[in-house]
Amino acid sequence: MGAYLRLELVRGFRSPVNLVMLTGFPVVLYLLWTNVLDVAPRGWQGDAAAYAMVSMATYGAMGGALFVGGAIALERGNGWLRQLAVTPLPAHGYVTAKLVSAAAGVLPSIVAVLAAGALLSGVRLPAGTWAALVPLIWVGVLPFAALGVAFGYTLKGQAATVAMIAVYFALSVLGGLWLPVETMPDAMRTLAEYSPAYQAGSMGWRALAGQPPEGVSLAVLAGWTLLFAALGLWRYRRAL
Amino acid sequence: MNAWEFKGVTKRYGPVTALGGVDLDVGEGETVALLGPNGAGKSTLLSIGLGLVAPGSGTATVRGRPPLEALRAGGVGVLPQDSGLLEDVRVGELVTAVAGMYPRPLPPERAMRAAGVEELAGRRVGALSGGQRQRVRFALCLAGDPTLLVLDEPTVGLDVEGRRALWQEVRARTAAGRTAVFATHYLTEAEEYADRVVLLAAGEVVADGPVATVKALVGGAEVRCTLDGADPSGLEALPGVRQVSVEGRAVTLRTNDSDATLRALFAAYEGVRDVRLEGTDLESAFVTLTGGRG
Repeated sequence: MGAYLRLELVRGFRSPVNLVMLTGFPVVLYLLWTNVLDVAPRGWQGDAAAYAMVSMATYGAMGGALFVGGAIALERGNGWLRQLAVTPLPAHGYVTAKLVSAAAGVLPSIVAVLAAGALLSGVRLPAGTWAALVPLIWVGVLPFAALGVAFGYTLKGQAATVAMIAVYFALSVLGGLWLPVETMPDAMRTLAEYSPAYQAGSMGWRALAGQPPEGVSLAVLAGWTLLFAALGLWRYRRAL
Repeated sequence: MNAWEFKGVTKRYGPVTALGGVDLDVGEGETVALLGPNGAGKSTLLSIGLGLVAPGSGTATVRGRPPLEALRAGGVGVLPQDSGLLEDVRVGELVTAVAGMYPRPLPPERAMRAAGVEELAGRRVGALSGGQRQRVRFALCLAGDPTLLVLDEPTVGLDVEGRRALWQEVRARTAAGRTAVFATHYLTEAEEYADRVVLLAAGEVVADGPVATVKALVGGAEVRCTLDGADPSGLEALPGVRQVSVEGRAVTLRTNDSDATLRALFAAYEGVRDVRLEGTDLESAFVTLTGGRG
């Protein structure tokens, strides 16, 4: 699997989609909000630049995790998996290589947004907080990697990409990554707080205030991860 | 121990019988051509033999092991018919990655040279032509230095030079004691490169033997000519002729002995013209051989 993993890593870091959509776009969006427009909600108490930094880093990482599925769907559609099926690489080795390379691939999107926050938007945090943000956000997007695999083994080709972009935006808006959940109506806010993107973000937001993740965040994220992983495993077995 | 073995393999897809009980032993070092019309079950048989499709009943083994186990152990190199490639990588990267999956691979450069894609190593797969992609797939098939080569219509999309290079490599490998099984539509490829031919029609083996034996069974050639007022019974009486069809002035003779037929044809019919000799087209030969079952 090592040889194939190396190839996947090279592809991930070279991919223009990853570079533009998952790293460039969150950084640009972040700078637009903090340095160009003044969109901090009225009566907002916290450091809006730091808050948005966590939101956008989570948003970018979430995309990186979710789009594992886009690649799987594409490679299923064009017959690459039929080629792999006749090599010694077992199907679970393929999925593992995809997940590991995606896990590595989300790091640049996280680091890029954090760097933009520190260097361009004047976010100041203790060193320990910076160090904690990267793994917290990274762990927070695990459910999306599982969801991506489920998508990848359900839809083929471009259909998967379109469906995932829709889910990506819907979940990130619902999770308060675009606008804080405090701006939402009550009913929507309740829904938001049980959504995976919100809980992924909340671990980072709490870290800004020096607080550890809440038990409920971990529970909700673990629940979604298990659910999506079960879904992914089911779809994967069906597709073989 | 046989390199590849099928025992009573059947497969049904709903009401359609894809394979109706196939027994086949491929010995170590043999080169076997699997022939048959579209839908004869060639690809299904190969897929079952590789453990990619479960047989309805019966068993397939590679050197006595379950096929999937042999595949995962890296002993089999396969050129599938309908597989795709990664588009966003270079040819060299792809071959290197696939070679890295095998326990005892060829050096990637060696696999690329053998498949004639050495000079494409730096090119993106997405920018290759159909024939070039087929050669890359052949390179992937060789990458693990397998003892059993399984090629499903390997020369589709290849130009003359590409075909020649592919068969030369297959031949070099079988000469070194390795085994090759290929499915093809081209009788000439079977004739030139296989020791043994297996004919599959409607999911059953209808002939199995050395090329010469099966060739005699499939039979001969077609003589086509233009002849005014041709009488079928007279033409049928020509030496070697097995079958006559006359459509207006266009005459087609199926013959076992084209030399004798031609000599007699020219002698008996002064007005004969536009005479052409064509090798047996496999599809039509099958119809003859299998009584239309193909």
